[in-house]
Amino acid sequence: MEKKTAKDTGLDAFTQELRQRVYGVGEEHDKGPLLKLDMADKILRFCQANSLWPMTFGLACCAIEMMATGMARIDMARYGAEVFRPSARQCDLMIVSGTVNKKMAPALMTLYEQMPYPKWVIAMGNCAISGGPFAVEENYNVILGVDTLIPVDVYVPGCPPRPEALMQGLFKLQEKISGVRHPFPQTPHPPRENSE
Amino acid sequence: MSPDYLIDSLYIMVFLIGGAIAAFAPFVLSYLLRPKHIFYKKTCQAYECGMDPFGTAWDFRYGISYYLYALMFLVFDVDILFLFPIVEVFHTVSAIRGILELFIFIFILSLAIVYAWVKGAFDWKKRLPKIQG
Repeated sequence: MEKKTAKDTGLDAFTQELRQRVYGVGEEHDKGPLLKLDMADKILRFCQANSLWPMTFGLACCAIEMMATGMARIDMARYGAEVFRPSARQCDLMIVSGTVNKKMAPALMTLYEQMPYPKWVIAMGNCAISGGPFAVEENYNVILGVDTLIPVDVYVPGCPPRPEALMQGLFKLQEKISGVRHPFPQTPHPPRENSE
Repeated sequence: MSPDYLIDSLYIMVFLIGGAIAAFAPFVLSYLLRPKHIFYKKTCQAYECGMDPFGTAWDFRYGISYYLYALMFLVFDVDILFLFPIVEVFHTVSAIRGILELFIFIFILSLAIVYAWVKGAFDWKKRLPKIQG
């Protein structure tokens, strides 16, 4: 599983220092489990993909859409990702939903460090992807893209993205983890009686 | 020792070893198959809301008035303790007498609370030091 990482050129000193906490420390040296069995790996990945536990971590307006995704109309629970956990120790998915500013960045780093491995990150919305509307010359406070700080798996563009877009991001992540889209076989709805 | 006795012991041994294996095999298996855990600098930090903790857990100080609440708890605690012997002898007397004596007993014990109440143990503000002035 490859993670996208931004190049470290052109970053200010603050971001440079922060990203040192994660980049070059851990995941590059991941050699996998002690006993490498294909079947066990497949089963584990299947389980991981169908039971993603996101963190209750809303940064800005995208968080509203994230909440809508968890609610009844667009129900993340159908795909096993409804258990929003307030503790970083119990999560394996961080949905960075919103603007990451320099005040928040150290806390974000700490939370990412405290999540148990294996963990995944969805950058939701333009701010988390690249700074969005804040990527201007006058910007002094916003981190331009959360991938400058932590490795990101899936980018969900939009300002903010609709809940359906986040669901698509979730499917992409599940596909990335287990290799299959819609890992759990979904039975299609039976045709309605009054339809043609 | 007779051989029969030895064989019986052997059965127990086999059972114990089998039980131990059944108990610890999942740990070993999950240790072999689990993804390697990666520790960063702050992975094992005690506080888990993103903020760095400051001070130690021993730095917190409580109002000394809490000790009165501890004493009040003891009163209730001893109440409960004295109710256990009553259970033992409850069936030896008639029902109405048992209940009546139980309530009289609890009433007398409750006077401790009334005593503390009158003394002002529940009155928090009285013992606060006067800061202004």
